[in-house]
Amino acid sequence: MVKVEDIQQCAAGLLEKGQVKSVLGFRRGTAGAMAEPCTITEAAEAGTLVWDPTCLNNLALYLVKDRKQQAASKTPDIRPIGIVAKGCDSRAVAVLLQENYFKREEVFVIGVSCEGTGVIDPKKVATLLKGRSPSRVEFDGADGFKLTLRGGEMQVPAREILADRCLECRAASPALNDVVFGEPSGERGYATPFHAAKEALGASETERWAAWEHHFDRCLRCFACRSVCPMCYCPECVVDSTSFVIEPQTSAEEKANRIKWCERSPNTSESAVYHLTRAIHLAGRCVDCGECERVCPVNIPLRLLNTMLEMEAFEMFHYQAGHDLSQASLLSSFRDEDPNSFIR
Amino acid sequence: MTKKRTGVFVCHCGNNIAATVDVKRLAEEMTDEETVVYSQDYVYMCSDPGQNSVIQAIKDNQLDSVVVSCCSPNLHEKTFRDNAERAGISGFTCEIANIREQCAWVHKNREEATEKAIKISRSAIRRVAHNKALDPIAVPVTRRVMVIGGGIAGIQAALDVANAGLEVILVEKLATIGGHMLQLSETFPTLDCSQCILSPKMVEVSRHPNIKLMTYSEVQDVSGSVGNFRVKVLQKPTYVDPEACKLCDDCVQVCPVVVPNEHDLGLTARRAIHIPFAQAIPASYTLDVDACLGLNPIRCGKCKDVCEAGAINYDMQPRTVFEEVGAIIVATGFDLYGQENLGEYGAGKVEDVLDGLQFERLCSASGATKGHVLRPSDHKVPKEVVFIQCVGSRDPAQHCAYCSKICCMYTAKHARLYKHHVPDGRAYVFYIDIRSGGKGYEEFVQRTMEDDETIYLRGRVSKLHRTRDGKVRVLGTDTLTGQNVEIDADMVVLALAMQPSKGTEQAAKVLKIGRDKDGFLAEAHPKLKPVESVTAGIYLAGAAQGPKDIPETVSQASAAACKVLALLSQDTLSHAPTVAKVRESHCTGCEMCVDACPYQAIRLLNGKAVVNEVLCEGCGTCAGTCVRAAIDVKNVTQLQIHAMISAIMGG
Ligand SMILES: Cc1cc2nc3c(=O)[nH]c(=O)nc-3n(C[C@H](O)[C@H](O)[C@H](O)COP(=O)(O)OP(=O)(O)OC[C@H]3O[C@@H](n4cnc5c(N)ncnc54)[C@H](O)[C@@H]3O)c2cc1C
Ligand code: SF4
Ligand code: SF4
Repeated sequence: MVKVEDIQQCAAGLLEKGQVKSVLGFRRGTAGAMAEPCTITEAAEAGTLVWDPTCLNNLALYLVKDRKQQAASKTPDIRPIGIVAKGCDSRAVAVLLQENYFKREEVFVIGVSCEGTGVIDPKKVATLLKGRSPSRVEFDGADGFKLTLRGGEMQVPAREILADRCLECRAASPALNDVVFGEPSGERGYATPFHAAKEALGASETERWAAWEHHFDRCLRCFACRSVCPMCYCPECVVDSTSFVIEPQTSAEEKANRIKWCERSPNTSESAVYHLTRAIHLAGRCVDCGECERVCPVNIPLRLLNTMLEMEAFEMFHYQAGHDLSQASLLSSFRDEDPNSFIR
Repeated sequence: MTKKRTGVFVCHCGNNIAATVDVKRLAEEMTDEETVVYSQDYVYMCSDPGQNSVIQAIKDNQLDSVVVSCCSPNLHEKTFRDNAERAGISGFTCEIANIREQCAWVHKNREEATEKAIKISRSAIRRVAHNKALDPIAVPVTRRVMVIGGGIAGIQAALDVANAGLEVILVEKLATIGGHMLQLSETFPTLDCSQCILSPKMVEVSRHPNIKLMTYSEVQDVSGSVGNFRVKVLQKPTYVDPEACKLCDDCVQVCPVVVPNEHDLGLTARRAIHIPFAQAIPASYTLDVDACLGLNPIRCGKCKDVCEAGAINYDMQPRTVFEEVGAIIVATGFDLYGQENLGEYGAGKVEDVLDGLQFERLCSASGATKGHVLRPSDHKVPKEVVFIQCVGSRDPAQHCAYCSKICCMYTAKHARLYKHHVPDGRAYVFYIDIRSGGKGYEEFVQRTMEDDETIYLRGRVSKLHRTRDGKVRVLGTDTLTGQNVEIDADMVVLALAMQPSKGTEQAAKVLKIGRDKDGFLAEAHPKLKPVESVTAGIYLAGAAQGPKDIPETVSQASAAACKVLALLSQDTLSHAPTVAKVRESHCTGCEMCVDACPYQAIRLLNGKAVVNEVLCEGCGTCAGTCVRAAIDVKNVTQLQIHAMISAIMGG
C-alpha cells in the first residue's frame, strides 16, 4: 500500500534540493471528501499532500498550463516540475513528451501505483449512499475502499464505486516515472479492456446514431471537455472559431479567411463536428484518464468516443497511447504490415 | 482584396461530356458566381482553336484566374496552365474541374450529371479564388542515372544512357548481371543463342567508362525527388577481390561444401565459393556466406590457403554507398510462378516435371547436361515430352488472372529445340489457345507444328503423377475431339506464369512506387506513359512492369533511357511551387508531420516544422496529419478545401 508520507518526503526532498521549481499533487479539498489538485513550491508544504481514491484529476494538464504560461512570460522559468502521477497521468506525460511538448528532463515524475484499485466515481458513490456524502474515502486492503460517514465507517468493494476507466485500466502503475511508490499492478480482473466500447457496439448503427444525436443535441459547447484534456493543448482549436490565434503579424486577409469548420451555435450537427473532430484528433493520444467525461455538465459519455478509437488503434495497430515514448505517433506512422482491409 | 476575375471554359470533349452533361447550361450557370466574369463552352477545348480561345479570352477580359471544366487534370492540367502562361498570367491560377472521369463517364442521368458538373465546377471556382500566382521553383539536376536490375532491360537502358554521355550506376542484386536471359538457350523467334547476343552487351557494360557496376548490391533507401535522388546502396561482401582474382578455379577445387546451383535452377551443384557461370560479369568468384562453413581458418579456410593470388579476404565487410542521381530506371524483372502452388501438377515434387527455365538449362550448351536433352531422374533421352501452356496463368480463381504473354512462344520454341535434339522424339503441347502476335511469331509457331511435327492438343491437363515404370502420366482433355487424353510421358515441361520478382516487390517498397493488382510495377498511364512510374523521375523497364519477351523488354528499356535523357538534358528542373507551408503560430513542434512526410521534406528547427520546398511533393500528407491545422499545401489550403466543400454542399 502506498504511504502518503513517502510521497510527501519525496516532494520535500526535490524542493529542498532545488531539483524542481514546484510539485503538482493533491491536497485535501475544501468541501467533502474530494481531494483537489495543488502546486507546492516549498518543502514545508509537502505535508499537505494527500493520496487517496479521490485524487481524480489528471495533473498532466497543469504541466501544459505551466508551459503555456512560461511561453507567454517575459521571464520564463523553465526549471523542472515534479508531478504526482497515477498510471493514466504518467501516460499523458508520455504522450506530451512524445509530441515534444516539453523535454524529459523538464519533468520529474513521482509515480504512484493505483495497485489493485484506482479512483472513485463520485456519481457511483452518490448513488450507493443515496445522496449522502462521505467525509473521507480511503484505500482499504487490496481491492476495497473505506468510506467515513457521519454515522460511522463503511467498507465497499472497489468494483462498486471505481471509475469506469479504472475498471478497464490495463496499466495502473505508471510505466514512465523517475520514482514510483506502491506495488506494480498486475491483472486486476474488473472488466476486459474496452469493455464499454465493445458493449456499445452491440447496438445497431441506427440505435447508436440516435443515441449520439441525442447527446450532441444536449451539448452546450462549454468546452469543459477540451479545457480539462491535457492533449487539447493546441494554440487554436480547429473546431472552435472563438479560439483563433491573433498575433500582431496576423493580416486582415488572414483574419477574414479564418475557416469555420463548425459554427459556434450549439446545434446537433455543429456539436457532432466538434466532438467527432476532437475524438479523431485524440486517436492514438487519448490515455483514457476519463477527465472529459467527468467534467461534462450534461453527462455526455465522451469516454466511449475516445476509447472506441483507442480500441481500433490497439486492435489494428497494437498501439497504446503513452506506452512507448520512442514510438512515432499513431497518426503519423505507417508500417508495411499495417492492415489496410478497410481501404477499398 | 480586389475582386477576382475568373474565366470558366467548359469542354464538350466531343460527346464524352456533352452526351451526359448539359454543357451549355453549365457554362451559363457559372456566370452566377461572384468571381466569374467570363464563361464559354467549346467542343474540344484542348484542340488548337480551343486553346487559342482560352488565351484570347484571358487577354480580352483581363482574367486573373481560370477554371477549365473538362477531363482529368492528369491529362490537360499542364495544357491549360501553359495557355494561362502564354496569356500572361501565372499557370498556377488555372485549375481543372474534372467533369469527365468524375462525372460524365460515371453517370447516365443527364439532369443529375449536370447538377453534379455544376457543383464540381463551382467548387473549382471557389478554390481558384484563393489561388496564389506562384512561381515554379527551379531545382538544379544531378546528371547521373541509377539503373536497378541488371537483366537485359537494365543492361540495355544503362548502355543507352551511358552512350549518350551520362554517368550510370547499374545496381544488380546477384553476383553477375544478365538476368534470366542468361539462363535461356536459344531465343524465339530466330533461335539465336541467347548468351551469344547477351554476352557482348555484358562485356560492354563492364568496359564502359560511364557505367559504374555494383553487383551483389541492393538499394536500401531513397530520398529526394526527380532530378535529385539520394540512394543508399548496400554492397554485400563477395569475400573475393575481383581485381586480384585470376579466375584459376583453384578455390572451387578445394571447397568442401556442395549446394544446388541457382543458375542451373538446381539441376547442377556448385561449391560455396563459386563463379555464377564462366562468362559472369564482373568476372570474379563469390563466396556464398550462407553456405560457407564459417569464414574462419579454424573451421575450414581451404580456399584462402589455396588462392595464390591472395584474392580471398574473409574480413571483407558490407559497404554502404550513397549515390546522388537525377533519375532512376527500375528493371528488376520477373520470377516464375512457384511450382509449389500447383498441387494439380505435383507441387514441384514429381520427378522429371520441369519448369520452362529448367528446360532451357537442359538445352543450353553450358547447362546441366552440356546441351543434351536428358531427363534429370535417370539421364536418359526422353522420347515423349509433354509441354503444358498457361500453367498458373489465366486462372483468376486459383492462380494469376493475367496472360503471361510469352509462354505460347517459348513453348513452341521448347518443342522445336526438343525435336532438334531428339529428332525421333514426340512432343505434345497442351494449350488453351495460341497467342502469337509479333513479327515472325505466327510463322514460328506454324513451323513448330508443321516442320517439327509437334502435336498440339487444345485442352487443359487436369492432373499428372509418376507411374511405377518411371513415366509421368498426364491426364488431359482434347477439347477439339472431345476426348480424354492420357499420355505416359518421359518428361513434362510446365510453362509457368511470369510474376513480378521478389526484388521488384522490394524495390517498389524502397522507391515507394506503386504496383498494379498483380504486383507488377504500375505505369503512370497504361497507354500514354508506359515507361513512367507514378513518381516523377522514376522509370520502368522490362518484365518488372508486366510479362514481356526480349524484343519488347529491350524496346521499353530504350524508351525509358530516352525519357531519362530528355529529363536530364535540362540544367534545372522546375519544381511545382504547390508545396507545404507551416503556420508557425500554430505549430507546436509535435513532429507528427515529420514522421508522416513520405519524402522526408520536413524537419524541426527551433521547435517548429520547416519544409524543404525542393523535396516537398505537395502530397498533403502532413496537412492531413497535423491536428492543429498548422501546415497547409499552397493553393490547396484548408481554406480552399473548406470553400470547395461548402460549394458542393450548396453553400
Ligand atoms: C522459360 C523462358 C523462356 C524464354 N524465352 C524467351 C525467348 O526465347 N525469347 C524472348 O524474347 N524472350 C524469352 N523469355 C523472356 C525473357 O526471359 C524476358 O523477356 C527477359 O528476361 C526480361 O528481362 P528483364 O531484364 O526485364 O528481367 P530479368 O531477366 O528478370 O532481370 C532482372 C534482373 O534484376 C535483378 N534484380 C531483381 N530485383 C533486384 C533488386 N531489387 N535490386 C537489384 N537487382 C535486382 C535480377 O537479379 C535480374 O538480374 C523467356 C522467358 C522464360 C521464363
Ligand atoms: S504536425 Fe503540425 S504542429 Fe506538429 S510539427 Fe508538424 S506542423 Fe507543427
Ligand atoms: S505536402 Fe507535406 S507530407 Fe507531402 S511532401 Fe510536402 S511536406 Fe511532405
